[in-house]
Amino acid sequence: MKTLYDILDWPGTKWLFIVLALVMPLASLLTWAERRQSAMMQDRLGPNRANIGPVKIMGILHFVADAVKMIFKEDVIPANVHKGLFTLAPILALAPVLIAFCIIPFGPTIYPHVYTQTLDTYALATQPQNAMFADSIRLQMFQVDFGLIFYFAVLTLANYGGTIAGWASYNKWALLGGLRSSSQMMSYEVAMGMALMGAFLVTGSLEPGFIASHGASDSMSGSNPLNWLWLWQPVGLILFFTAAIAETKRAPFDIPEGEPEIIGYFVEYSGMRWGIFFLAEFIEIVFISSVIATVFFGGWQVPFLDADGFRVGGYVDQVNHISVGGWFRPLPHAIVTGLQFAAFGLKVILLCWFQLMIRWTLPRFRADQLMHLGWKLLLPLSLANIMVTALIKLLFMGGS
Amino acid sequence: MSTTETPTGTPPAPSGGVPATPPTPPQPAPASNSVTLTIDGQAVTVPKGTNVLEAARTLGIDIAAFCYHPGLPIVAQCRQCLVSVEKNPKLQPSCQQVCGDNMVVHTTDKQSTLARQQMLEFTLLNHPVDCPICDKAGECTLQKLYFDHDNQDSRVDVPKVHKDKAVDLGPTVVLDQERCILCSRCIRTCDVVAGQHQLEFANRGDHEILTTAPGEQLDNPYSLNTVDVCPVGALTAKDFRFTMRAWELEATPSVCNGCATGCNVEIHHKNGRAWRLVPRHNPDVNDYWMCDEGRFTYHDLREERLAAALVDGLPAGWDRALRAAADGLAIGRTSGQFAVVFSALHTNEDNFALAKLAQAWGVSHFYVAGKPPVPARADGRLRVADINPNMAGVKAITEALGLTVKPVYELDPSIRGLLALGDILPGVDPGRLKELEYVAITAHERGPVPHAKVALPTSDWAETSGTITNNKGHVQRMHAAFAPPGQAIAGWEVIVRLASISSTKLSWSHVRDVFKDMTAAVPAWNGLTWAREARPLALRFAGSRG
Amino acid sequence: MSASHHEEETHDMGLKVLSTSTIHPRVRTVQVSRPEAQDTTFLAATAKGLGVTLKHFARNLFLPMKKLAKRNAAGAPTDETWRNEIETVQYPEEKVTYPERFRGLHRLTLREDGNVRCVACMCCPTVCPAHCITIIPAETDDKGIEKKPAIFEIDELRCVVCGLCVEACPCDAIRMDTGMHARPVEDRADAIETRETMMGRGVRSIAVQGGEGPDWRAHGHEVTKTDVNR
Repeated sequence: MKTLYDILDWPGTKWLFIVLALVMPLASLLTWAERRQSAMMQDRLGPNRANIGPVKIMGILHFVADAVKMIFKEDVIPANVHKGLFTLAPILALAPVLIAFCIIPFGPTIYPHVYTQTLDTYALATQPQNAMFADSIRLQMFQVDFGLIFYFAVLTLANYGGTIAGWASYNKWALLGGLRSSSQMMSYEVAMGMALMGAFLVTGSLEPGFIASHGASDSMSGSNPLNWLWLWQPVGLILFFTAAIAETKRAPFDIPEGEPEIIGYFVEYSGMRWGIFFLAEFIEIVFISSVIATVFFGGWQVPFLDADGFRVGGYVDQVNHISVGGWFRPLPHAIVTGLQFAAFGLKVILLCWFQLMIRWTLPRFRADQLMHLGWKLLLPLSLANIMVTALIKLLFMGGS
Repeated sequence: MSTTETPTGTPPAPSGGVPATPPTPPQPAPASNSVTLTIDGQAVTVPKGTNVLEAARTLGIDIAAFCYHPGLPIVAQCRQCLVSVEKNPKLQPSCQQVCGDNMVVHTTDKQSTLARQQMLEFTLLNHPVDCPICDKAGECTLQKLYFDHDNQDSRVDVPKVHKDKAVDLGPTVVLDQERCILCSRCIRTCDVVAGQHQLEFANRGDHEILTTAPGEQLDNPYSLNTVDVCPVGALTAKDFRFTMRAWELEATPSVCNGCATGCNVEIHHKNGRAWRLVPRHNPDVNDYWMCDEGRFTYHDLREERLAAALVDGLPAGWDRALRAAADGLAIGRTSGQFAVVFSALHTNEDNFALAKLAQAWGVSHFYVAGKPPVPARADGRLRVADINPNMAGVKAITEALGLTVKPVYELDPSIRGLLALGDILPGVDPGRLKELEYVAITAHERGPVPHAKVALPTSDWAETSGTITNNKGHVQRMHAAFAPPGQAIAGWEVIVRLASISSTKLSWSHVRDVFKDMTAAVPAWNGLTWAREARPLALRFAGSRG
Repeated sequence: MSASHHEEETHDMGLKVLSTSTIHPRVRTVQVSRPEAQDTTFLAATAKGLGVTLKHFARNLFLPMKKLAKRNAAGAPTDETWRNEIETVQYPEEKVTYPERFRGLHRLTLREDGNVRCVACMCCPTVCPAHCITIIPAETDDKGIEKKPAIFEIDELRCVVCGLCVEACPCDAIRMDTGMHARPVEDRADAIETRETMMGRGVRSIAVQGGEGPDWRAHGHEVTKTDVNR
C-alpha cells in the first residue's frame, strides 16, 4: 500500500492525472464551448450536430471530431522553412503552459487514512508525524517558495514558440505575427508581474498553495470569501486579468494573430502542428483561470468550508479542540476534499467562461492602443497599486 | 478588264471596267429620259419606266410588298404595296404603277395605311403563326410587316383553314402550304431564272395552294432560289431546314468558288462554321441568283481539312515543317529540276505570291492545276463548264509576269522538286509524286497531298481575304468569314514564311500589300483598289430577307 | 504666404493655434485634443458591452426556441417576449418556405401524349445571357409540330438563374418552378441537365397554344368538315 501512495504523491503521477486527464480535456472542450457560447451571444446556434450514432449531447463531440480531423490532415511543411525550428515551435508554445501547471494547487492535501473521519485539525497541527496523517497526497505538483515567480519564468518561454514559428515559417505575415507577439508579450509581462506584487505583499508569500489556503489575513479562516484577495486587491485583480488576457493573445488583444490581415505566426502551419498552437492557446486560458482562482478567489476553498466541516462565524478553541460559537457542521475528510476539488474546478470553469465572454464582446485593439494601454495605464496603475498596498500594510497592519 | 467588287462602296472606275454598283437606287438619268414626281411631299427624279415602289426606295421610303421582287416580273397580286395617287380614285399597287411626270403619291395617308393594315390582316387570316417552328422566323417579311403595319391580335374567331404541311416538292425544297401567302414569287423564279415551269397554283379562294406543275417536280438546278425569294417560311431548304435559326447567323460577303462564274454570295456562319450560302446581288455577274450546286459548296469547308502542317504524313509545328520544306526544295532548286504549280482554285494573291517566290528562286518550270471542265453544266445561264473559280486570274498573272505555264499533266519527267498550291494535281501519277520532293500548300488533306513530303495548311476560300477573277475577267473580292482551323494561315502568308526561311525576301505583311504589288504588276488590273475588310453582319439586325 | 491664407489653413486643420513662429509662418504651436480618461481605460465600455452580450447569452441559453414559422415570418414577431432570439434554421430538418416565384432547376413540360412540348425554336438559347442552353433540333414525324429538340441540355453550372429562358419561351415548354436547387456534383459534366432529366421533372402543360388550347389543331379539323365555306 505504501508504494501506491508514494506513486500517487509522485509529481509525475499527479501531472498525468491532473494535467493530462483534466486540463487537456477541459481545454479541448473549450474549443467547442467557445464556438457554442459565441453563437449564443450572437443569436446563433453554433456547432450542435457532431454525434456518435444517436449520441448528440449538444454537439459536445465536435472537439473529438476536430481532433480526429487535425490528426489526419495532411501535414504540410512548406519549402524554404527552417525545418528544425518549424517543428520545434509548436512544442515550445505548448510545453511551458503544461509545465506551469505544476505550481497550481488543485485541492487541499489529502490524508488517505482518515478519509472517512472528520479531520482533527488540532491533531494535525500538533502531531503532523502521527501515523494517521501518513502517506498524505498534496494536490500540487511542485510546492516551492518562489511559486508564482516560476510561473512568470516558465510562461515567458511560451512566447518563443510564437516568435520562432513566425521566423521559421519564411513568410512575411508569419514574421510580422511573431514580432507582434513578442512585442505584446514584453509590454504585458511587466504589468502582469507588477499586478501580482500587491498580492504578494498582502499575503507575504509567493507560494500559490499558501495563498489559497491562508487568504489575505490570519485573523480569518482561509475559507471565508472575505478573506480572499479579490476584496483586498481589486485593482490588482483587474490589472492582472487584463494583462493575462493579453498574454493569451486573444481578442481584444489578438494583434499577433490579426485574422483579417496577417493570420499570424502560425499561418504556414497545418494539421496537428497548428492544432498544438490552438490547444496551447486554450490551455493558457485554463491556466490563467487557475492562477486567478488560486490567487484571488481562494483557490480550492469552498466558502465557509474548513478542513473539518462547514463553520460559519465560529472558531476552533485551541485548548479544548472544539468548535466554539457560530454554526458548525462536521463533515468527513473525503467529502470535504471532494467539495474543495470540485469548487476549484467550478471556479476555473467560470473564469474561462468569463474570458470567452470578453473575447466575444470586445473588438480588437489597434496596436498603438494596445501599447498605450500596457505601458501608460496598466504599468503605472500596477506600480501605484504596489505603493498603496505597501503603505496600507505598513501603516495599519504593522508591517512585517 | 475588270474591277474589284467593293461592298463598302467607292468602287474604282478603271478604263473599260464595269462598275459593280448596286441596282438601286437608279442613277438620275438625263432630263429627257426621266420623270419627276412627289412622294410624301418629297420630289424625286427617276428614269422613265421606274415604278413608284422603287422611286420611293430612293427616298428611303420602304413600301411594304410581298410579291414584288426587283429581279422578277411584276404581277401586283399581293396588294400589300397599295399607295394613293392623287387624281386617281382607287389605290394603286406601287410596284405596278409606273412613275409619271408630276405625279403626287402618298404612302402614309389614312387610306393607304388602312389598306395596308387590312391587307396584312387578310394575308394573316389563315396563316398558322407557327413562328417557333418556322425556319424563316427572324428573317421573315411577313413577321416584319406585321410588326410594322398590323401589330394587333387576330380578330378571327372561326377555325383556320388547314392545308398540308411538309410537302416534298423535290430533292431540295419542302413546302408548307399553310404558311404560303400565294405571292407567286417562286413560280416566277422557276420561270425566269431556270426557264422551267415547275410550280403553279391550284384550287381557288382560301383553299388555293401552291403545288408542282403536272408531271413535274421542283428539281431545276436553281431551285433553292425559290427559298430565298419566299417572303414567308412556306419554302424551306432541306439542306438548311431545322439546323440553325436565322437570327443566330452572321453574314459575310464573299464569292462562290464553285465555278468560273463567281456568283457573289453571303456566307451565313456562326461560331466558325458556315451554315448556308445565299446569293448576293451583282447585276454584272449573277443578278440575284445562284445555282444549287454552288450553294452546297460550303459543306466542303469542313471536309478533310488540314489543321496542322505535315512532315512525312505526321503533324509538325510550323518551324519544323517550313525547315523541312525549304531543305527538300533546295535540292531541286540547285539542280534546276524544280517546278512550281499554280492553282486555279486559289486566290490571285496566293498565285501571285507563289509566282514572285518562284522568280526569286529562279525557277523555270511552271504548271497550273485545275479541275477538268464539266461540259454538261453549261446552260447559258449562271452555270458554266469551267468549275475552277480562278483560272482567268492565274492566266492574267502568269502572262503579266512572262511565265510560260503548262497544264500540270505535262509535268516534265526530269522534275525532282515540286512546290504546288492546292490539293489537286490532275494527271500526275501518285507513284511519281512519292519520288519527288513534293511540298503542298493546301487547305485539304486529300488527292495528292498524302504523298507530299511536307504539307503546309492554308485557309479555305471562306476563311480567306483575297480576290479571284471570274471567266468574264471581274476581279472579285472575298472576305474572310471566320478563322481557319488549327494552325492554318492564308496561302500567301505560307509563301512568305517559306521565303523567309530560305533567305528570300518577300516583304508583305498583309494581303493588301500583295494585292497592291499584284495590281501594279498586272497591266489589266492597274488602278484597282482594295476595299476595307467587311465586318460580319448579324442577321438579327438585318430585318427580313426574301 | 499671406496671413489670411495662413489662418485659413489652421482653421482647416481644426486645431487651435497657440502661437506662430516669427521665422516661418508654418512653424507654430497648436493645441491637440487628447482622448478623455474614460475613453482610454475602456472599463465602462467593457462593462456595458459585457452587459449586452450577457443578456443575449442568457436569453438564448435558457429560453425556448422560437417556432420555425416565426423565424420564417417576415417582419417583427408579435409574441416573442419569452422566446430566445436565435434565428438559425437547422437545414435538413427544418426548411424555410421559398417564395412563390423562386426559380429552381429547369423542367421541360410535356404534351398530352407525353412528348416534350419544346419545338426547338431556339428562343431560350438566344436570350440566355450565360449561353448555358444547347439545343440540337430535329424533325418529327408529326406534320403538325414538325420540330423537336433532339438534344436539349442546360449547364447548371453556367446558368445564372435569371429566368429569361422561361420568359422567352413561346410554348410554355421550359419552366423553373421545380423549387429544386442545382445538385452538388463530383464532375462538371454531371451538372449538365439533359432533355430526359428535365422531362422527368416535367408536368403536363395546359397552356393555350395558338389561342385555342393544346389540341387546337385536331379540334380545328373537326370543325372544318362542317365548315360552311367548304
